[in-house]
Amino acid sequence: MTSTLPAVTTSEVTAQRTPVPKTGSTPRTTPSRLRGARADLILCGVLLVVVMTVQGWNIADYPTLSDDEGTYLAQAWTVQQGEGLAHYTYWYDHPPLGWMQIALLTWIPSLISPESMTVGSMRIVMLLISAVSAALVYVLARRLSLPRWAAGLALLLFGLSPLSVVLQREIYLDNIAVMWTLLAFCLAASPSRHLWHHFGAGLAAAAAVLTKETMIFVLPAVLVTMWRHSHRDTRKFAITGAVTACVLIGMSYPLFALLKGELLPGDGHVSLWDGLAYQLTRPGSGFILDQGSGSYEVLRSWLYYDRILPLGGLAGALLLLVTWRWSVTARALAGPAATIAVLALVALRPTGYLPAMYVIQALPFLALVLAGGTASVAHGLLRRWRDPGESRYVTRGRYAVVTLLVAASAVWVVPHWYDGNRTAVTTDANAPYRAASKWLATEVEHPEDTRVLVDDALWLDLVHAGYRPGLGVIWFYKADLDPAVTKTMPRGWRDIDYVVASPTVRRDAVDLPNVNQAMKHSTPVATFGSGPDRIEIRQVESDGTADTAGTAATGGDR
Amino acid sequence: MLIAVVSLALFWMAAFTLWWQMHAWRTPEVLASTRFSSPDGGGHLSFSLLLPARHEQAVLDHTIQRLLESSHTDFEIIVIVGHDDPDTTEVARYAEARDPRVRVIVDTHEKKNKPRAMNTALPHCRGDVVGVFDAEDQVHPELLAHVDHAFRTTGADVVQGGVQLINFHSSWYSLRNCLEYFFWFRSRLHLHAQKGFIPLGGNTVFVRTDVLREADGWDPDCLAEDCDLGVRLSSAGKKVVVAYDSDMVTKEETPGSLVSLLKQRTRWNQGFLQVYRKKDWKRLPGFGQRMLARYTLMTPYLQAISGVIIPLNVAVALFLDVPVGVAFITFLPAVTAFVTFVFELVGLHDFGKQYGLRVRFVHYLKLVVGGPFYQVLLAGAAVRAVWREQRGRNDWELTSHVGAHLTAAGPDAHTGPGPGTAAGPAADTGTEAAAVARGSREDVPA
Repeated sequence: MTSTLPAVTTSEVTAQRTPVPKTGSTPRTTPSRLRGARADLILCGVLLVVVMTVQGWNIADYPTLSDDEGTYLAQAWTVQQGEGLAHYTYWYDHPPLGWMQIALLTWIPSLISPESMTVGSMRIVMLLISAVSAALVYVLARRLSLPRWAAGLALLLFGLSPLSVVLQREIYLDNIAVMWTLLAFCLAASPSRHLWHHFGAGLAAAAAVLTKETMIFVLPAVLVTMWRHSHRDTRKFAITGAVTACVLIGMSYPLFALLKGELLPGDGHVSLWDGLAYQLTRPGSGFILDQGSGSYEVLRSWLYYDRILPLGGLAGALLLLVTWRWSVTARALAGPAATIAVLALVALRPTGYLPAMYVIQALPFLALVLAGGTASVAHGLLRRWRDPGESRYVTRGRYAVVTLLVAASAVWVVPHWYDGNRTAVTTDANAPYRAASKWLATEVEHPEDTRVLVDDALWLDLVHAGYRPGLGVIWFYKADLDPAVTKTMPRGWRDIDYVVASPTVRRDAVDLPNVNQAMKHSTPVATFGSGPDRIEIRQVESDGTADTAGTAATGGDR
Repeated sequence: MLIAVVSLALFWMAAFTLWWQMHAWRTPEVLASTRFSSPDGGGHLSFSLLLPARHEQAVLDHTIQRLLESSHTDFEIIVIVGHDDPDTTEVARYAEARDPRVRVIVDTHEKKNKPRAMNTALPHCRGDVVGVFDAEDQVHPELLAHVDHAFRTTGADVVQGGVQLINFHSSWYSLRNCLEYFFWFRSRLHLHAQKGFIPLGGNTVFVRTDVLREADGWDPDCLAEDCDLGVRLSSAGKKVVVAYDSDMVTKEETPGSLVSLLKQRTRWNQGFLQVYRKKDWKRLPGFGQRMLARYTLMTPYLQAISGVIIPLNVAVALFLDVPVGVAFITFLPAVTAFVTFVFELVGLHDFGKQYGLRVRFVHYLKLVVGGPFYQVLLAGAAVRAVWREQRGRNDWELTSHVGAHLTAAGPDAHTGPGPGTAAGPAADTGTEAAAVARGSREDVPA
């Protein structure tokens, strides 16, 4: 039997530890290991059950199916079918890793029941992602040396905020990317400071960016966390390893484009360059604080669901950044606070494009920072300037203040969240979609020969109903934007049989001539729901020229 | 599809090698455990330090004097010289006359090599522990005390100290050579010790005298007798402890020329191959240990193969029309190689810090640019070793070949300011010969 010198392992190791107290996050030796601490396991498990119940109940019917969910799930379906990355030309809109993961997650359910591969029913897999993310929030909170109750609070804030409940139910790439980011943070804050954990953090960070490219903004915060949690003697190896891992895996995306000959723009093919150029030059949605701008609307929609987590978290981040010098918690939470600072700055760009799901990547960090801020305040009230001889009345006073604060915040938070989450678990927002899907599946005689413009959310439903994927059932905007599709519509709108006018279609048709014409030359044959949320199935007028396909290229073509 | 399989195999190979190479830096705790612990000044063991010297009159005296400065109180130095090497003998006798702790043993074997020399001296060792040094080693005065402490606190049968090539600035290959040693002694060897299979180094190695005698000393016919000893001892379940302290490593220099480096490497490779074929490692109890042994002893060849295949793979992926998935797989080994590269750069930085040496930008550049060429050198040595092993299959002529080569170089090696020698006429040849001699002595597998 052979071994290295055990004498040193025991005696010198403790001496080798960084003198942490100076820099915060003191209890590195305290059990931040989930495995070791039964109490952590139980607490985290119980809270997870609560969160999963709220998030999972009624998941298919609320919120309204979104176009983007349909896009990603449809592309995941294509991946499952082994037909490439998308049923239309993949044009480097996002890195494909996100829906490849969705494809993997939905693979077994879709084997058992292929028809279940629709947005509503497959939202259930997002529950798994949420669960993992929530657990990681807890682990990260513990690794950033928050007390157990604060870690639990972070998990609850993250999982139960009505804003989280709404957004995390949806099949968004951001939710998956958040999971990877949290994993990267957890590995970066690994208590064992293992080289390969840090390396793994780099890999996870790369996976996050390849899932949703906006995660690139969060990388510096991961680095900060890793720096703080690595040891002086091994830091250079750990950090370079992580950066190398992240860059190498990240490079696989351009490499992929290169191998396909689509790295740089050229005639007759899409390219990564063009895709990036599109994302970076997307028309801005205005300054977020400028009333009337698109960004302001997005902000309002977030605050409509919940004010506590976004605003409280932001305030918490500010508090932590300001108290950096005095507060141990502030330094321990440097990573999450930095993340929020960066994301807030990016959101404040006056000319940038701010999508509704942007806030998703901030949610766990808002929760962590809010919980950390709470812990900091609680610690300040209960322990600061406390000497052993403190009179009992003062001590009681401290507890009274804390109790009062807890009660006050409960009174403020609970009704709001109760209302928001009650809506989430009871409302059926998708009845019109289901009805429209059913109508198209049963009332149209020859679906295989019928061409329908739909928004992406309904696309898979119609594929299961027998319509031809891609050119039979068509993502409505492809009728104008994808040359491969317009080529098959020489007579423009006349080559379309139906338009399913959902709110999204009506909104975007303005800028899409073919869709617009089809809308104009069609009449509703069935309408589901009412008001702006209604879904109309519009049949396109046939003018008797259906047999002379290809003779006249009409105005809508490009 | 073959290419995908080969790529995956290479990937795993490179990944494992990298994993092991980085062993010491896994966690701060592991890094701390690779160091010597401070001696407590308690009861001590006695040492017999073997110092085989051959045509090394130029450096021998200095080495002996330095060893004598050791702070340890109970040791003897046994200088082993050849009966056909009067110059070195003269230096050794001179030292023996000055200090009672120095003794000279004359090796009278017809075919001379290091294991035979040491076996000759083994019966004369009086100490509890036998230590091996080379004639040009710079040994730290505190080393023995630390080794003593390590023996006593760990109950080890063998203690391997660190050896470090230090002249990284001499040439592009010495830079890589130094780093090889750094990663090997600083990191990889500790993993081997932990796993219970270790190819020992050629010097700064200490073995309990009874254990060594029980094992019949060194294999006189093996080209990598140090590696062989380690394999035999670990297969017999002996406890090996490795310790590395940058203050306390034995410092050496790289071979003086590319050719001598190539020869040295050829010999190690062939030695590894011999050890592999001796099959002592098959007695290791654990399956994992046997796999590690198999892999480690095969490393030179795997290294040679991967050096050729990795660039080929990348070329295939880029220029041939293969499916994107397969192309990705063919890139995997290159990715690992790149990560290794990056860690080598960081390693060079750490090396500079540890030894207080100034590493300049040009050195990093040399490290990167020299990488592929060094790979070619390694591949060349591997091929050469296989070829020679095949040719000299049944007789061990090769050993004597190296010996003959040394003897042939001998008469010219009369240079240097060693006591009792006059400056020779052909200084260049002398240096070259000394370098070759050194090249055949630094028995450290890397």
